[in-house]
Amino acid sequence: MLRPYVIETKETVTFTYRILREGDCHFFISYTLFSPVTYTIDGTIRLPTGDNMPETLIETRDLIKRYGEKVAVNNVSFNVYSGEVFGFLGPNGAGKTTTIKMIVGLLQPTSGMVKVAGYDVQTQSMLAKATCGYVPDTPNLYAKLTGRELLRFVSDLYSLDRSQVTHRIDELLRMFDLITAADDTIDSYSHGMQQKTSLAAALMHDPKVLVLDEPTVGLDPKSARLIKDILRQLADRGAAVMLSTHILEIAERMCDRIGIINKGQLIAVGTMDELRTLDKTGEASLEDIFLSLTGGADETEIAEILK
Amino acid sequence: MNTVHSSMIHLPDARILPAVWKLLLLRLRITFNSLRHAKLRKKIGTVFIWLLLLGVAYFILSMSRLLLGLTRSPEFRQYVGVDLQPLLASIPALTLTTLFIGTLLTSFGVLLQAMYLSGDMDFLLATPVPIRAIFVAKLMQAVLPNFAIISLFGLPILFGLGISSAYHMLYYPLVILVMIVLAFAAAGLSSLFVMVVVRFLPPRRAAEILGFIGATFGLLFSQMGNFANSFGKEINISGSRLASMLLLANTRWLPLNWAGQGLVALGEGHWLSGVLLVSATFGFAIVAFWFALVTAEHLYYSGWAGMQVVTRKKLTHASRPASANGFGLARLLPQPVLALVQKDFLTLRRDLRNLSQLVSPVILGVMYTLMMLRSGGEPPAGRGEAPAWFMESFRIVLEYGSVGMSLFVGWMLLSRLAGMGFSQEGKNYWMLKVSPLRVGYLMAAKFLVAYLPTLGLGLIFLTVISIVQGLSVLEFVYSIITISMCLAGMAGILLTFGIVGANFTWDDPRRMNSGAMGCFGQILSMLYLPLSFGLFIAPLGFAQFLGFPIAYGYLIGLALGSSVTAGFAFIPLWLVRKRVARLGGE
Repeated sequence: MLRPYVIETKETVTFTYRILREGDCHFFISYTLFSPVTYTIDGTIRLPTGDNMPETLIETRDLIKRYGEKVAVNNVSFNVYSGEVFGFLGPNGAGKTTTIKMIVGLLQPTSGMVKVAGYDVQTQSMLAKATCGYVPDTPNLYAKLTGRELLRFVSDLYSLDRSQVTHRIDELLRMFDLITAADDTIDSYSHGMQQKTSLAAALMHDPKVLVLDEPTVGLDPKSARLIKDILRQLADRGAAVMLSTHILEIAERMCDRIGIINKGQLIAVGTMDELRTLDKTGEASLEDIFLSLTGGADETEIAEILK
Repeated sequence: MNTVHSSMIHLPDARILPAVWKLLLLRLRITFNSLRHAKLRKKIGTVFIWLLLLGVAYFILSMSRLLLGLTRSPEFRQYVGVDLQPLLASIPALTLTTLFIGTLLTSFGVLLQAMYLSGDMDFLLATPVPIRAIFVAKLMQAVLPNFAIISLFGLPILFGLGISSAYHMLYYPLVILVMIVLAFAAAGLSSLFVMVVVRFLPPRRAAEILGFIGATFGLLFSQMGNFANSFGKEINISGSRLASMLLLANTRWLPLNWAGQGLVALGEGHWLSGVLLVSATFGFAIVAFWFALVTAEHLYYSGWAGMQVVTRKKLTHASRPASANGFGLARLLPQPVLALVQKDFLTLRRDLRNLSQLVSPVILGVMYTLMMLRSGGEPPAGRGEAPAWFMESFRIVLEYGSVGMSLFVGWMLLSRLAGMGFSQEGKNYWMLKVSPLRVGYLMAAKFLVAYLPTLGLGLIFLTVISIVQGLSVLEFVYSIITISMCLAGMAGILLTFGIVGANFTWDDPRRMNSGAMGCFGQILSMLYLPLSFGLFIAPLGFAQFLGFPIAYGYLIGLALGSSVTAGFAFIPLWLVRKRVARLGGE
């Protein structure tokens, strides 16, 4: 959801791309990424201040990751604010996971800057990591620990208050329907159970920023719905949630804003309404927008293959 | 969209043999591709190994021909005074029995991997390929590598026997045919065994247990020679007793012996008994293979083997580890360090694949300790020309042999625990990487995980040997300090190389140590071992040589040894601390 910023029309103001990026007014930021860089509005803008101002919890600027000659992520800049769910879409190999790994501190950027909760991931990594939770696309967890032991281990890594931990673990295990398997080792869990354990581990320290890479893959509808509800609640409580997904329906329904990356470059960022303006009809679905931006297969081409 | 016409559906070839051929070609293609894309040194290494194996086979053939020919000579017969002919005739039966049992045992692991862990069974079963063809192909996959290895040793012996005994020409092709049918029968039965095991244990757990048993027994057998040399002098088995034992094993009542006895009979021209025994072997082997194939196929397809009847035992509260609150001195450790140490101890203990690597130092340590204790602690007197100070220094060194033994056992254990301390995180390393964990905490935890059990084991060895050797209290205390400090330095060196060569991409723990850094670490720590030991012990000998009180020797040894070993414990790790921060992110 966009925060309702007050715009009072009194005089003509010209915004430039740079000013808007620094002004935290994402209505305009979104536009500037794929529209002309100058806007003229009949009025003044009272930029949000104090309590009304959403906090920038993820900030990437001119992020580049090269593997030798190959550029996996090319000059990516975007912000994610407190209280919003940000969807990160892109075809396979577009650079989604690489970008996410740079945000959570798993991968060192070749150049550019990433801030999480205001902390530079490179120079203030401890602080940045302490505020962030991460759910990877493949839940590689310690197979020989039980679910309960894993959560306790994670709580110790984040130096959580030991008196609170037992209660928190039980709460999370119950919430994710893992309580009956809590004392089984993780290698006996199904993929979905491991995915839920991974999410529970990411939520142990009640993160301000939650980054999820394909969180709903392999989950049954009930678990997928649970995760969607949890993410929404987290955002409503002021956290920033960033998730990558291939399921456009999830992105369309859940995400306040969506970023589309293709061939390492961020080609669009905005709310669904803003993204729709890219289409001539203005009523296109996210799937149509995604395919038109990333170059999906033509229907005649598909028919030709199936013939 | 076009509708799919029935005329477009291609009826697949339902014949088994072409399908088996296709599947084997696929396997061959995979092997060829992996060799083609391998590094040049691996390609050269593969060619070299093949040439070496051919050379070994030729050597065995020549030797068996020569030796077996020699045993038939009248001079040799006269010399030993025993007719060796019946003994030689038992060789084929023994060789083929070994082949059968060897294939039965070794196929188990390969079939477990091929049917339940490789992940391609579902893919293959979903394709229009006859299910029987898939099973035959899987059995062949299981048989071929082990068959090749066993044949490498068995075939030259059997051919050597045939040449030296001037057997009939029919003997040679029949040897090959009999070996093939026996190997297939063994693999078939092995597949049934796999199904039964998987019914009770998850496949991955079964593989872990198998790896543990294999590694432990492999090590025990490999050390049996040393052990026998040291302890077996009293056990004297005479040649005639051995011959009678072999003849007893070659009884006609065991169907497994029929193949060998039939081949010998055919080779010697006893056609009736030869044809009967070999035919019976073929009949039994084919029936066993067919029965096993059909049953295994049914058990797999019906899901019988997949439905485990024993559910995994939940960890009770009593069996759970102490919480991260810790106890005693552990409370002094920072929370993340204690959590990491506990986590590592748990995963090392629960994963049998790790345990099989850890049990090796214990087995070797026990064996070498026993051998050392048997050799006594006194220096050899020689001709009595050595000066007194030399003999005294020598005696001191021997007295501290217990320290040397403990350090050697510690070195073996540390090579695994410290050398692979970081690599053992594997694909789970992301959890540490995304958490706000200080580099220093991580290094400290890994150091403790490697150092504490090694120190514990070293002290156990030291205590046992010291009691047996009757060390004085002063010597015992000095030994404890020596071991503690030397092992700390060694842990520092091995952990440092483990960090530099960390590998997080493995699936099989045996492939954890993939780089050259682990080897460098082991070589350097091996050089460090006598150096550190010498720094503690040499001053005692010098004090003796110079005629100073031994207390001076202890003080100098303590100062010198402790400062150098402490340096080795901390400086290498301090040098690579920045590398730890970059691990897993390159």
